[in-house]
Amino acid sequence: MINGNLKASYAADERVLNNSYKQLFVYGMMAVLACFATFANDYMILIACKMGILLIAVVGVNILTGYTGLISLGHAAFVAIGAYGVTILDNVLMGVVPEGLMFFVIVPLAVAITAIIGIFVGLPSLRVKGLYLAVATLAANFIVIFLIEQDLFAPWTGGMVGVNTPSPNLLGWVLDTNREMFILIAIIAFASLLAAQNLIRTRVGRAFIAIRDRDYSAEILGISLLRYKLTSFALSAAFCGLAGAMFAYFYARILPEQFELDLSLELVAALIVGGMGRTMGPVFGVILIVMMPEVIKVVFAYFTGGDASAARYTAPLQEIAFGLLLVFFLLKEPLGINQITDRILRAANRWPFARG
Amino acid sequence: MKLNRRSFLATSAAATAVMGTPMILRAQPSEYVLGASLPLTGPFATAGQLVAPAFQLAAKLFNDEGGVAGTPIRFVTEDSGYIPQNALANYQRALATEGTAMIAYFADSTGAMKLIAPELKGENARIMGSTSFASELADPSTHPYQYMSGPSYQSQFDILLENIAAQGGTSVAFIYSNTEFGRDPIEHGKATAERLGIEVVLEEATKPQGADIPTHVTKLAQSGAEHCILQGYVTGVWPQLIGGARQFGLPTRFYGTFWGMEKIIADRITQEAGPFLEGYEGVMPYRYFWDREDAPRYQKYAELSKEMFAGTPMENYMSTWAIQTMCGLEIAMKAIRDTAEAGQELTADNIAETLSGISDWDTGGFFGGPVTMENNSIKTGRVYAYDTETGLFNPRSDWLSV
Repeated sequence: MINGNLKASYAADERVLNNSYKQLFVYGMMAVLACFATFANDYMILIACKMGILLIAVVGVNILTGYTGLISLGHAAFVAIGAYGVTILDNVLMGVVPEGLMFFVIVPLAVAITAIIGIFVGLPSLRVKGLYLAVATLAANFIVIFLIEQDLFAPWTGGMVGVNTPSPNLLGWVLDTNREMFILIAIIAFASLLAAQNLIRTRVGRAFIAIRDRDYSAEILGISLLRYKLTSFALSAAFCGLAGAMFAYFYARILPEQFELDLSLELVAALIVGGMGRTMGPVFGVILIVMMPEVIKVVFAYFTGGDASAARYTAPLQEIAFGLLLVFFLLKEPLGINQITDRILRAANRWPFARG
Repeated sequence: MKLNRRSFLATSAAATAVMGTPMILRAQPSEYVLGASLPLTGPFATAGQLVAPAFQLAAKLFNDEGGVAGTPIRFVTEDSGYIPQNALANYQRALATEGTAMIAYFADSTGAMKLIAPELKGENARIMGSTSFASELADPSTHPYQYMSGPSYQSQFDILLENIAAQGGTSVAFIYSNTEFGRDPIEHGKATAERLGIEVVLEEATKPQGADIPTHVTKLAQSGAEHCILQGYVTGVWPQLIGGARQFGLPTRFYGTFWGMEKIIADRITQEAGPFLEGYEGVMPYRYFWDREDAPRYQKYAELSKEMFAGTPMENYMSTWAIQTMCGLEIAMKAIRDTAEAGQELTADNIAETLSGISDWDTGGFFGGPVTMENNSIKTGRVYAYDTETGLFNPRSDWLSV
């Protein structure tokens, strides 16, 4: 029996942070994030920005795969649409929209466009499930990248050679350093996480979970599969589009090859490792996926003394570690790091009683 | 603690000292760092692994010569897998970890140079060389911090086409990999061919690896081209294309640009598949390593290589790819040292200005004579032809400038 987490009212039960450890953890993280830009060195800021961008996208994948149970291997396409959307809209609306307001106009527009495209990509989900849906979404990834690379669209997308991206201008504040970008990315990533957590507490979110757990039962209960599956695709794509917008703002230039299958797989891997269908799953997954190659690189460089010839073994080592990590979590802890931290938090919450 | 005027001043002074110290340290680093991304894995791993030891050699050589005004240098090299975004990540990582001690960077592809170029602004700007000869980079107005250690691919095409025209050639085919590297000089090459009265009878894009050789050879046969320039390949595709054409009985003469001119690859092909590369020609910006009688710098490299790489292929031969890297590093070091000697701060702007002003520089034998940076590139090269019997690329022309 679960104990040590007494809720004496409905209000307490409905709270997002419904026990003191969650409160401590989340408020602690908020405090750390708020101060991070002041004490972190450039390297930490760089890694944190990458984590933030990936986190927003993984939150999106979590809505679709974790909450709704629909597998996608094509979400890098939505990140690409968000990134190119912001860049193209910035170029098109230059001079029409005041520079200080551009961010507030083009980011929502790019996100909306991504959501609409997400609906189209989600159409096969009405007919196919599981592996077949994964393959269908995979096709979307290839199609989007193919279109971006075409000479026909090159005046806007830059084709295979890519396109330079703008720096965000928030009411006259131009965020042209990584440290400034970190503030923006951290706020948006935190808001995305909060939005996703709240989403599953709404009627829509519960419909997603019902579809994940047994879709035909959900339909019998009156949940429209058409509506909610496509809503899930749209919301999921929208988060990825937002991640793409941040990606474009963070990097000075974007290339189509940055949004290929590797990125889609990375998003899914981060979710599996972190924990599907859990709010904090993407956070843990992203931390591990981004940090692991860095740690391997640092440890390897320490043992080889930074020898250039030995550096050739770093990339294969990173790939092997990535594969092993996935296999480990799939076999030993399919619910991801989130489940492990849950157990630790539960044990701490009940201490000195049995862990249960 | 009671805060009075004295304790306030003392605390302020201590705080200023703590905050100010890193600034002073940054201004006078104990060593300067030159970062680099290399394709140690991926499609061009062969080249990357042959180039990697050049950084060890360069570190020893430059430090033995006194580094930069007495301050030693250190190289930080990382693998990119020939993926531009990895090179960008490496650059950002090096920038974040090394800060202002890092004064130059070397990227390993055209894609990486273009991806990193817009990042080079303000405090993040560093001078940057690379393995690329992409024409777009030879423009200081758009790429003020990036330079090329030789002629652009467009200039290399010009050298080859002028050579073909001089031989009375009337038709040419362009076969290139469908990459930025491959497509770079094609439009310009067509314009040059037209100007020289040479008809471009075929433009064929292939995969950079694993290309469908019979199909491309058939198209080449149908085009009836007398000459064929191959662009955008390093270790693969170009030898198979030439081999396929010879098996087909085509008399077409083949030409390559810098990356298709390595003796190690040509020797390996000859050893494994026979002497079908006989007469293969191409443009090469530098002297080959065996031609070091008039090249004191090459002699120095040879001396160090014997000592540092005994028992490895680098002991007696430095690949053209490593020579290109060494040339890039020599250019950067010259600009950095000249800037330091002039008493200027080693900022990207100062170094870039010195670099673009290099003129009549005796490189110690890389090129036929003293060279001048024009649009941050060195527009000289020479046509060489491969001899399958000796395994050497022999000069077919004098040093040409375009």
